[in-house]
Amino acid sequence: MLGRIYAFALNTFREAIRKRFLIAIAILVVGTNMFAAVLGQMSLHEEARVARDVGLWSISFFGSMTAIILGVLLLYSEIQKRTIHTMLSKPVERYEFVLGKYLGMAFTLGLLVAVFTLAMASILFLRELEITDTMFKAVVLSYIEVMVVAAIAILFSSFSSPVLSGVLTGSLWFIGHRTPELVRIIDSAELGLFRVVARGTLFVVPDLHAFAISGSTVDGEHVSVHSSFVGWDYVMTAVGHGLFYIGLFLVLAIAIFSRRDFS
Amino acid sequence: MSAQDNRAETSDPADNRAETSDPADAPDTLASGPAPDQAVIWLDDLAKTYRAPFTGKRIEALRGISFAVGHGEVFGFLGPNGAGKTTSIRILMGLISATRGRAAIFGQPVPSRRARQRLGFLPEAPYFYEYLTATEMLDLTGRLFGMNRQACRKRAGELLERVGLEHARNIPLKRYSKGMLQRAGIAQALISDPDLVVLDEPLSGLDPAGRRDVLDIIRSLRDEDKTVFFSSHILTDVEHVSDRVAILASGRIRAIGALSELLDDRAQGVEVRLRLPDRAEPAEFGGSAIGAVEDNGEVVATLAPDDILEDYLARALEAGARVVSVIPRRQTLEELFIRCTRSDAEPGHGEVEVR
Ligand SMILES: Nc1ncnc2c1ncn2[C@@H]1O[C@H](COP(=O)(O)OP(=O)(O)O)[C@@H](O)[C@H]1O
Ligand SMILES: [Mg+2]
Repeated sequence: MLGRIYAFALNTFREAIRKRFLIAIAILVVGTNMFAAVLGQMSLHEEARVARDVGLWSISFFGSMTAIILGVLLLYSEIQKRTIHTMLSKPVERYEFVLGKYLGMAFTLGLLVAVFTLAMASILFLRELEITDTMFKAVVLSYIEVMVVAAIAILFSSFSSPVLSGVLTGSLWFIGHRTPELVRIIDSAELGLFRVVARGTLFVVPDLHAFAISGSTVDGEHVSVHSSFVGWDYVMTAVGHGLFYIGLFLVLAIAIFSRRDFS
Repeated sequence: MSAQDNRAETSDPADNRAETSDPADAPDTLASGPAPDQAVIWLDDLAKTYRAPFTGKRIEALRGISFAVGHGEVFGFLGPNGAGKTTSIRILMGLISATRGRAAIFGQPVPSRRARQRLGFLPEAPYFYEYLTATEMLDLTGRLFGMNRQACRKRAGELLERVGLEHARNIPLKRYSKGMLQRAGIAQALISDPDLVVLDEPLSGLDPAGRRDVLDIIRSLRDEDKTVFFSSHILTDVEHVSDRVAILASGRIRAIGALSELLDDRAQGVEVRLRLPDRAEPAEFGGSAIGAVEDNGEVVATLAPDDILEDYLARALEAGARVVSVIPRRQTLEELFIRCTRSDAEPGHGEVEVR
């Protein structure tokens, strides 16, 4: 079973890195970081802040966008190109196929996040700015976020078209980052209807904000990648949450995928 | 153990054929072929109704087919386009689910991963990951069968040679022609040295040399005591490799059996080729002969089985004709096929369609 999942994973990874699209994204990110470096030089004393902010933002943003694009196409292109007939007629279970493809995407996105991190770190290093473990905590959180987004994309694409899946996943990504605002609506004395909607949304939307906490308040304390950031215990808890979401979305995706006809 | 399961299944009293509206439709073809517990492939009243998206229109692709394929058989699954061949095969491969009926491979009800472990499959108009080379594709396939790297590599080398692709082994599949893809597809179907090989339209997309190669491979598989189940809408050469065939049309089995059983072995009449003196008519020589004049001035007369050849020839020679050839006509698979598939469009007219 693991052998087959690994075979699918390796193949998915191989497919992704042979695509020009990923190279384009990588170039875009390196370019963004260099632009940030130039921008940082113009803003006195803020150089490190700008480099870190832009670097981390591009991991989260470009990472999530790549996850959406790869995720919605992951199963769809197999069905569209009919390669799925060749694969699922082999002695494999459908869940092995989905898990293998997801794992392959995890490798791909991991490589991408590593490249992004390297771009950010080299700029900090070249400009002789401080590189702290805070940055790596933020990177780990971003990677988990990206993998949650990927799982959402796969879930949607198991029953809807790539475009619709992309739009839906993108919307969840947008709302998922605004969970504190939803909490504020619930806590406020606004109209009851708003509060019901906010509560419902909070219930179904994964809390992606938990992975991008810099600049907000955690447990009553202000956290920021520039000053005092969360500890590794927070990171580990967030990773646990992320894995829970990923597991949930993949189980649902597999349940739907396993019932489908491929004709 | 699996045979036990099967025996239990066939004697299942809950077996419900009530849905078959017309009693004439009731499948009786299980009589042909091996007993269910010995079958490699076994179908019982298998039906599939597709629902068209949006309109919701029902398309009855399979209307209850039953047959069994035994160990070591080369079984030709024949029928025109749209007959339901691919649908049946996809149900067997676990890609789609049947609307009604049952199917088993090696005694395992489908879909069965364990059964798929023992079979190799070539999909219709196969598509593979085009960014892979043939060697990489075979390696991936072998891995899914649990083979290790060395075994994959060794087997891949042998197979690429066998299908005539050794020169293209390291070229990405996106640069392959249709015929090359078909050959690569056959190689991947054989990677695990399977006991059963299922090929959906293995001859389509190939030039004559390619077809001959594929037929040679099918023959060699039979020599290796493998079971081969292949579909085709092209009849040329199929008769020379198949032990048995089933003819499918509009989702129903129209004929099944060994070709020697299906094709009437008796002469269907005689074809006499004559060179005539001017103005003579072949019909004048008697019998029920129908004549046709060919380009080269020769006349071909077809005599019915009850015509007396000797009398006809005597009269023809008397009239000054020269006999070029006398050939008994036998029913061909093609004629059987046309009769089977026509009878669907015009019920009852099937028998008169082909003499
Ligand atoms: N996914 C599908 N949805 C609707 N109709 C289908 C689908 N797949 C096949 N069909 C229809 O089912 C019938 C049988 O098709 P198929 O099994 O591919 O035939 P064959 O392989 O013998 O050419 C055809 O009429 C075809 O149009
Ligand atoms: Mg077909």
